[in-house]
Amino acid sequence: MVQSILDAISLGGLYSLAALGLGLVFGVMRLVNFAHAELITIAAYTLVLTAQFPLAVSLLFTVIVTVFVALLMEFSVYRRLRGVNPAIMLIASFGLSTVLQRVYELMFGALPRSAVVAPFLRGDFKVAGLSITISSIITIVLTIVILLAMGYLIEKTSLGLQLRAASADFKTARLLGVRSNRLISAAFGLSGVLAACVALILVIQNPQISPYYGLNITILSLVGIVIGGIASLRGAALGGFIVGVVLSSLNTLLGNGRVYAYSWLFILVLVILLVRPGGLLSKGSELERV
Amino acid sequence: MALLEVTNLVAGYGKVEVISDVSFTLEPGKSIGIVGPNGVGKSTLLQAIAGGIAPKGGTITFDGKNIAGKKPEDIVRLGLSLVPEGRQIFSGLTVRENLSLGLTGRRNKKGANEAILKVRELFPVLLTHENHQAGMLSGGQQQQLAIARALISEPKVLLLDEPSLGLAPTVITDVFDRLKEIIEMGTAVVIVEQRANLVTSFAEKTIVIRDGKVQSTLTSADAANSESLQRSYFGAGE
Ligand SMILES: Nc1ncnc2c1ncn2[C@@H]1O[C@H](COP(=O)(O)OP(=O)(O)O)[C@@H](O)[C@H]1O
Ligand SMILES: [Mg+2]
Repeated sequence: MVQSILDAISLGGLYSLAALGLGLVFGVMRLVNFAHAELITIAAYTLVLTAQFPLAVSLLFTVIVTVFVALLMEFSVYRRLRGVNPAIMLIASFGLSTVLQRVYELMFGALPRSAVVAPFLRGDFKVAGLSITISSIITIVLTIVILLAMGYLIEKTSLGLQLRAASADFKTARLLGVRSNRLISAAFGLSGVLAACVALILVIQNPQISPYYGLNITILSLVGIVIGGIASLRGAALGGFIVGVVLSSLNTLLGNGRVYAYSWLFILVLVILLVRPGGLLSKGSELERV
Repeated sequence: MALLEVTNLVAGYGKVEVISDVSFTLEPGKSIGIVGPNGVGKSTLLQAIAGGIAPKGGTITFDGKNIAGKKPEDIVRLGLSLVPEGRQIFSGLTVRENLSLGLTGRRNKKGANEAILKVRELFPVLLTHENHQAGMLSGGQQQQLAIARALISEPKVLLLDEPSLGLAPTVITDVFDRLKEIIEMGTAVVIVEQRANLVTSFAEKTIVIRDGKVQSTLTSADAANSESLQRSYFGAGE
């Protein structure tokens, strides 16, 4: 029971990190970056392929590679599409996602690559007679630390203020001097850092990396963003968390019926959207802006 | 030499030309009014100057440099700020955060504290609401915030797009008194209004835009003469 609750919280935290990465980019570009999945995937590959190094080195390398791919995406594809119809950007991001999957397949093969990453984080320990997995505790602690750091960055720094302003009204932000290219690059860079964090947590639990590794979590955190309200970062993080918790709980509660977990999740999503079409944290007016 | 010189400016959206030929000059520390009926292209003109949209033709010389087609974030750093139509304050951010955003456009990061102090002195009401959400302010306070936010970058030229929009007459007088102080402190001002009577008594000269062109130029002397005001505003022989 305790383990189930911890699992639910840790999955929720994981999804909220993924949703935050998507939300940052959506805020400044009105782009649903489907290829965020491939950022998580490349981070996971990098972690596994550098597993022979000390974790800190491997992690640093992973963040650098992932941020580089994120910036490359922005510079080579999305920068050229700035200001076009959001539907076109969405299709472009699907395209980019597929292309990157092929590239990974060519580079790393279609079969999963694996290695033991951070073996000391595997296994479980006993508290008051209960057996708890180390990875669930680590996930929760890591998520809280990352969320706090992101919260500080967004609420207290000048970069965060510019991100919030540009998400609300990019045109006016530019009139005040916000440098559009730099800010969008920063948003992509941060989404890369978040993707690397997500990959680290995922890889500890499942070190079998295929070209589609990041797809599932990205789709589910997109669902979370829709639930929470696509126009606000808090909404995105909250929505991601809800999806993770609900999915994890459904898996526990449904027992043998867990194949239907996704069906129940999407029924819940439909109900939420019928009641609050703009998402849980929307203020009504935010719908038309998107 | 003129601080801002707009020559044969052409601007619009897509294939549509809204402004087809507008020229005017502005000397340092002076003021100019731009008037014309709704939809004539006044906001388009200001956006083209401030870099919000790219001009389709003509030149814009500011402080000796051609700024036509430059990005808005670069133009504001050169010392030209726009207070856009409808104020466009960030209603979800606090008053203080709105003002801090104005600092982004400073050329010189030194002197920021002095600039903030000066703006606070000019708009004391903002001080009392510093930690409130900007969306909670009254219309007049929001307009003051929008002007204050643009002033924090210490521009040489301040462009204002219909600062009187949606404000009660007494509040308009208040805002315009503040603008007079700003001009006296040495900032040149371009002020767009739909109604000529608001600006003719205020600006040294006022241009009237019709059909994408400068139809006539009014001086403060014309302002006293309501007949010539009417004539030039509505077009002779209409
Ligand atoms: N973003 C836009 N896209 C297309 N047309 C526009 C846009 N903004 C304004 N217009 C058109 O340009 C013309 C001039 O508008 P505007 O500059 O706002 O006039 P004014 O400020 O004098 O009221 C109007 O016909 C308006 O419909
Ligand atoms: Mg207008």
